[in-house]
Amino acid sequence: MSAEFPSVSEAISQEQIDDYAEISGDYNPIHVDQEAAAASEFGGTIAHGPIALQTFFRSLTGLTGGEALPPGTQVKVTFRAPVRPGDTVHSELREREDADGATALSVECVNQDGTIVIAAQAEIPS
Amino acid sequence: MSDEAPALSNVTYDELEVGQALGTVTEPVSAALAGSLAGPIGEPGEAAVAPPAVFPVLFLKALRRTLGGIPNGGVLAKYELDFGAPLQTGGEVEIEVSIADKYVRRERPYVVVQFLITGADGERTLTGRKIIMWPTGPGEEAPS
Repeated sequence: MSAEFPSVSEAISQEQIDDYAEISGDYNPIHVDQEAAAASEFGGTIAHGPIALQTFFRSLTGLTGGEALPPGTQVKVTFRAPVRPGDTVHSELREREDADGATALSVECVNQDGTIVIAAQAEIPS
Repeated sequence: MSDEAPALSNVTYDELEVGQALGTVTEPVSAALAGSLAGPIGEPGEAAVAPPAVFPVLFLKALRRTLGGIPNGGVLAKYELDFGAPLQTGGEVEIEVSIADKYVRRERPYVVVQFLITGADGERTLTGRKIIMWPTGPGEEAPS
């Protein structure tokens, strides 16, 4: 695979979190209930994990050039820190190895403070 | 909320068994759903093939229907995703849900839920594992 890894940046809003709750049916109070979330250990609402992950997914599909990922693609994701409304998350390539007919990637999604919110690895067959 | 399934579940760690089948459900995957997950979340659009972000949504929908709701107070820890055949939109998928593992690490309880997603043509489109830091640990009761 010769294409460059495209970094993707996305600003996260409460409106977007509410949209994701509607799409997914995940109305966990920590995401959508301002009062309950303020009383939680997070001190306010946080985004659903897949919202921040979207920057990584968009980078992968940008790299592979399709709407879906190629069959045989393997992805591992670790959610490291919460993402809050007002944060901006972007995906950054850390390591890349093209060998044996596959591309291996190590990617971090970081917020505007440089905090790693997601660490991800992908192996994509050619 | 449009779904009839309850929003949140208080199933405890002890009530789940490794290897337990939670059930199999079908879910539609429309071009509009796929389109709203192809770019910035929620931005309207249509897509003929499901982008990867569709699958976490299917996990949530399947959990809600097979577990009696999304775990109340659970925290998403990890995903492991093995992608298969591209999923064409406009049809339904079958989602088989089971408990693949559960364990305590660094005094925190985790449950691994497995999702086997098959397209209308019978081809496996995704094998997914969602690792959730569970709101209750061994011997603990659900919060009232």
